[in-house]
Amino acid sequence: MTQLAAFKKMKELMTLYYIEAKTSTAKPVAWLTSGAPVEFVHAMDVIPVYPENYAAMCAASHQSVALMEAAEAAGFSQDICAYARTDFGQDLLQGGPAGGLPPPRFLIASTNICKTVIKWYEAVARKHRAPLFLVDTPFLHDGLNRETVDYTVAQFHDLERFLAGQLKRPFDRDRLLEVIRMSREATGLWRKTLDLAKTLPTPLTSLDAFIHVAPIVTLRGTRPCVDYYQLLYEEVAERAARRIGAIPEERYRVLWDNLPIWFRMRYFEKFFEERRCALVTATYADSWGGIAASQGVQTSDPIEALAVSYLNIYINFGFEERIRYLARLIDEFALTGFIMHSNRSCKPYSVGMYGLRGEVSRLTGKPGVVIEADQNDPRVFSEAQVETRLDAFLESMTPVKGLKLKV
Amino acid sequence: MFAAFHEAISDPFVTVRTHRDRLGRPVVGVMPAYFPLELIHAAGGYPVQLWGAGGAVEHADGHLQSYCCSVSRSLLELEMRGVTGRVDAYAFTSLCDTLVNLREVYRRLFAKPTVEFSIPAAQTRAARKAYLSTVIENVLKGLEAVTGRAASREDLRASAALYGRIRSLQRGIYRIRRQKPGVVNSGDFYAVVKAGFFLPPEDYEPLLARLAAELEALPPRTGRRPRLVVSGMVFEPVAAFGVLDGVPADVVDDDFANGWRSAAKGALRVDDLVAGITDYVYSGAPCCCIYHPESDRHAYLVEKVKAAEADGVLFWAIRFCEPDAFDRPQLAERLKQEGIPAFTLEMDLATGNFESVKTRVEAFCEMIGGLEV
Repeated sequence: MTQLAAFKKMKELMTLYYIEAKTSTAKPVAWLTSGAPVEFVHAMDVIPVYPENYAAMCAASHQSVALMEAAEAAGFSQDICAYARTDFGQDLLQGGPAGGLPPPRFLIASTNICKTVIKWYEAVARKHRAPLFLVDTPFLHDGLNRETVDYTVAQFHDLERFLAGQLKRPFDRDRLLEVIRMSREATGLWRKTLDLAKTLPTPLTSLDAFIHVAPIVTLRGTRPCVDYYQLLYEEVAERAARRIGAIPEERYRVLWDNLPIWFRMRYFEKFFEERRCALVTATYADSWGGIAASQGVQTSDPIEALAVSYLNIYINFGFEERIRYLARLIDEFALTGFIMHSNRSCKPYSVGMYGLRGEVSRLTGKPGVVIEADQNDPRVFSEAQVETRLDAFLESMTPVKGLKLKV
Repeated sequence: MFAAFHEAISDPFVTVRTHRDRLGRPVVGVMPAYFPLELIHAAGGYPVQLWGAGGAVEHADGHLQSYCCSVSRSLLELEMRGVTGRVDAYAFTSLCDTLVNLREVYRRLFAKPTVEFSIPAAQTRAARKAYLSTVIENVLKGLEAVTGRAASREDLRASAALYGRIRSLQRGIYRIRRQKPGVVNSGDFYAVVKAGFFLPPEDYEPLLARLAAELEALPPRTGRRPRLVVSGMVFEPVAAFGVLDGVPADVVDDDFANGWRSAAKGALRVDDLVAGITDYVYSGAPCCCIYHPESDRHAYLVEKVKAAEADGVLFWAIRFCEPDAFDRPQLAERLKQEGIPAFTLEMDLATGNFESVKTRVEAFCEMIGGLEV
């Protein structure tokens, strides 16, 4: 990974976060999906815990297989999402780098990332006899509309009542507005940091972004999160100003679509660096950057704006909008091609991907490749197959113009 | 007694073509599951329910990965092969991630119009109400664009009554099967259910009414064999229907989306369509794909088994159906706690050889048996 001084700070932040979540007796713990409106939870001083983030940590530290096997031994099919299986496994064994997650007092799931989370969280809720609150964010086949925003806002009000009921104290609306402000500040900084990758050569790669996304997932809405992304932004901006590339002699600039392959981060880092290919932008990392937040419905109301940002998630878009978005990234980041990860665990991202690849290539004139893998399950990863496809793809790209290449 | 039903499903798309030509109504292919067929019928369409079919998947491979469920792969294969050529438009529900994206795939690949019934999953009825009202309005507009005719209140009332009678008759034959195990075998029973997916309702209703009367008149079978409840999302392929007849047990009830879960729905109330559709979607039998905070599949399935005096549950699991797969382990555990044996069969719609399926079901029946055969 790119050597960033902020990395140390991030590790510190994340360690403190997990220690607090594991040890706090004063604050209740809630389990949330990565796209759930955590601002409401922070407003009530509840510690949000993210099984997705923890599952990714388990895979990155090569501990996911044992956990998934435990879930499979308990009857969960290999056909279901590997994040969910990793989560069921950590819950059964109290495994993974933090020795398992603290049990939830209640759970909050949002369908903006998938409908799978409904089933996943229902299973956890049943096991822990903890109440589940679902925020339904309908798929935007034809873009955002007023009715969908109103529907989401209505559910936010129900969520306030749910939290007040669970915690037996009134919902703190003033605190919520403050949390939303900090959340927007952090996502704004994250967006600005990701946009620095438009610089040639890019000062950070998507592999860096996959690591540095952790605080925006787990801590958005808090002051330490804002401070962290200010620090990260300043460091990356300085690198951009000084034209310090994340990889030596950047030759190709590509987009990564879908979740990372968490258990092969180092491998991909080496693979792409050796081939002078920088992963410059990623739809996954963008998901917490308030993408297209201004699309569809304009509003100055902070709660409505929050609803808009939770609806405007890349994988909650119809394909027309996804194609437009990918083409825009390819243009704005001066990309030479794009990689799509056909991810066995993530249907909303992957179903229809073959067709999207062809359409985006035709529209932009840039080559694209689909690789078959999984975000968390190394048992379905074929290195030889992936390498063959990626090498053929790299050969098909025209190197980026405007960079001095060492021959 | 069952010939007309078997004939209707022997080549479903010949059945559809015949009736389409006769009725002159546009055919609306209804994707899994719970799209209110009444709305299509009231708008002058001919609803045909599609749950996939057996057979190899070749063309759809270029669009759907092997880890997509075989129902979605089969549906796309049928369209790409032109088998569903007489289908003029498609009606989707937002049942699962794959189906939601499948609608997008169809919209990119084919010119046929699509409508979607986006099923709200909000926590409260109040939060759902306004959104559902917009959804229904859009569905009706979409159907009008397909058929060229707006469904009037009277049309809706007549169609709702017709489908209400059909589902009531279906529930009747389910009751007869529960009360007189073995009086109708699974091959025949599911041919009757499946024929309703393709026959126009006006033709299906009298056939069903006659059959119900005939079955009612039959005496119960003597002796008691082990009794099974079969549970899963989709009971397909059609070649599998008869497999359960070759084992020493009687299927006395099911819990399939294309079985009891659909038949269980009462007549759609159209005086207040939002309230009516809310009841239609959430009442009847719970489904792994329909979230409702008060829905409890566990208690429901246990009660179903007890009511049918069944001896075990056979989970009919179509591979890569995530909602069904997520529910199964805890459901099986709950059954175990209640002393109800359960067994899971995993399969694909393209499965052609059911011998091993039959052998495994036989072994399960022997395990729960020890009863007179």
